[in-house]
Amino acid sequence: MKQKILKKLDILADAAKYDVSCSSSGSSRSGKDGVGNSVKAGVCHSFTEDGRCISLLKILFTNHCIYDCAYCVNRSSNDIKRSGFTVEEMVDLTINFYKRNYIEGLFLSSGVMVSPDYTMERLTAVARRLRQQEKFNGYIHLKAIPGASPDLLAEAGLYADRLSVNIEIPSEQNLKLLAPEKNFPSVYDPMNQIHQAISISKEERKKYKKAPRFVPAGQSTQLIVGASPESDLQILRLASGFYKEQNLKRVYYSGFIPVNTSDKRLPAIQQPPLLRENRLYQADWLMRFYQFSYNEIVDENNQNLDPGMDPKLAFALRNPQLFPVDLDKAPYEMILRVPGIGVRSAKIIVANRRFGRIGLSHLKKMGVALNRAKYFILCRDIPSPSRVLYPEQVRRKLLKPKSPLGKQLSLF
Amino acid sequence: MTRILSENTGYLYDGTFDGFLCVIFKAFEYRSEPAFILPQNRNTQMVLGDFIKVVTDPEKAKRVWHGLGNCTNQRNTRLVHVAFLSELPEVEMLMWRYLKKVFRDKSGRFYLNMLDDDVFELVQTARKVKKEVHRFHGFIRFQKTADGMYFAPIDPDHNILRLLAPHFKSRFPRQKWVIYDTRRNYGLYYDCSMVREIILDDHKINFHSGNLAKEVKDLDEDYYCSLWKHYYDAVNILERKNHRQMKNFMPKRYWKYLPEKNKPGGTTG
Repeated sequence: MKQKILKKLDILADAAKYDVSCSSSGSSRSGKDGVGNSVKAGVCHSFTEDGRCISLLKILFTNHCIYDCAYCVNRSSNDIKRSGFTVEEMVDLTINFYKRNYIEGLFLSSGVMVSPDYTMERLTAVARRLRQQEKFNGYIHLKAIPGASPDLLAEAGLYADRLSVNIEIPSEQNLKLLAPEKNFPSVYDPMNQIHQAISISKEERKKYKKAPRFVPAGQSTQLIVGASPESDLQILRLASGFYKEQNLKRVYYSGFIPVNTSDKRLPAIQQPPLLRENRLYQADWLMRFYQFSYNEIVDENNQNLDPGMDPKLAFALRNPQLFPVDLDKAPYEMILRVPGIGVRSAKIIVANRRFGRIGLSHLKKMGVALNRAKYFILCRDIPSPSRVLYPEQVRRKLLKPKSPLGKQLSLF
Repeated sequence: MTRILSENTGYLYDGTFDGFLCVIFKAFEYRSEPAFILPQNRNTQMVLGDFIKVVTDPEKAKRVWHGLGNCTNQRNTRLVHVAFLSELPEVEMLMWRYLKKVFRDKSGRFYLNMLDDDVFELVQTARKVKKEVHRFHGFIRFQKTADGMYFAPIDPDHNILRLLAPHFKSRFPRQKWVIYDTRRNYGLYYDCSMVREIILDDHKINFHSGNLAKEVKDLDEDYYCSLWKHYYDAVNILERKNHRQMKNFMPKRYWKYLPEKNKPGGTTG
């Protein structure tokens, strides 16, 4: 029995690992009676050898699948070991991991068995059992299976902190090519339904404190980078739309890993495009925390992010007319735009300049990357740009060959 | 009764926060600039020069603490306490310089001024401690005992044990647990109603490995632990191997009590 569970875990955790989302943030639950709580900031419990955080027990309910998507390791035409949990096994595993503080909660996804409704029902049953019988207040992230009926999603949303529908391929044309059973409406319909239900629940909770919460940590999605030929412009435009229209909390970018090497519809690559993935995350950060719009980061003339520098630096070099920024006077939004200055430093600068003038030593202590920032600021120690620096000069100075780029990159 | 001390007089205290506050009290009373402030347990045989041993008096500590409360706000007094828990070698002197400036400040908002080196340093120190607290919300591993309690050993850089209590109390309200600092040799015990400090003296726990002895371990403990190690290996993506990043987020010094990072004889243990 125990050996059987061990085998299932090996197969179904391995099969779930390509979903990159693992965040446990954005929700706060608590209860005096039950097991667990959720904390707003999220907690990482471990880190795998690939440097990714383990926060949730990320696992598939089953890796049996009726679909045959080209990019997916679990597609029906693959000859791999298949397995599946029962609802009881899933609940037992979650609770026992949780009580030992291995995890922050459960991220349950699944291959599509029998039908989308049949699958979604199983996922919902696990979440229902956890919340109602086990009084589990930890974090639950459920995958919304494309094509599942609205009623099931409406119930799942009452138990889950987060729901996600993965778009996977960034254009409808290529999605249809690579995942013949899927199309954009099968992704957008559930997303829009969840979005609406979240706004309604928020409104109601303003009026009645006891109104049920619906997906309090919001929804997210994932798309694969490099399995299809879309440009960064197309990808970031799509992501920006998700943030604005569907109010998504997160878009995850997953560098394509060729798990099905024989499929002719997919590009043959040696290495997953990790550098490109990293640049997309940086661009995503600019949209979410630095008040950039996607078309300031990429445009028709620059459809792809520059692999050689981060997108904020690239923006500054394309827009020399906006710099230098005077740290003693400039508004917060402009300070945020300076390459090398992050959100925390920008806030410290704005909150403290009433006490005196900001100097380079202050900036250094705050953790500002002066090697980049110094070309774009005025402050006590740089009263005026000693000479005009043209973007081309700055570019050359900053791109002196350092350690070889590409392999060891920070994801976030 | 004011005594004038020579300029290089140092202070020793008992290592507690109250004791430290009493040093501040004395230093103000004697109007003397301390040459050093050290807890008696830390390298005291190395101390050179004049020093006085300050006796901890809770009343005096309270007066300093209230005085600080009047000069700043509640959030900031908490920050001072958190910085103290860092146990960093120079933290007492940093706090002395900081407190002196705060007590002498007339504007009432000096403590906000991050352009001042000591304010910045104090805020940074407290941030380090808080960061470790947040990390340990994740990096703690409980083992279930035969009598249904959950035990976790820790060995943090800073003295954060007490700061961990609120999180685990609200997370596991119906579960008895012990979190034990093996370096500082004291622990917290939660009995489903309140948290108490304890010192363990029985030998059912191996402080080196952090493992419970077999006879006090729950029968299923090893099973769930091996499931967890299997899970850890299964979710790793080989093509994305990035050890440096893993160590950035989870430095090696924290691996000691993580079963997934301690696998004798291969990958599964």
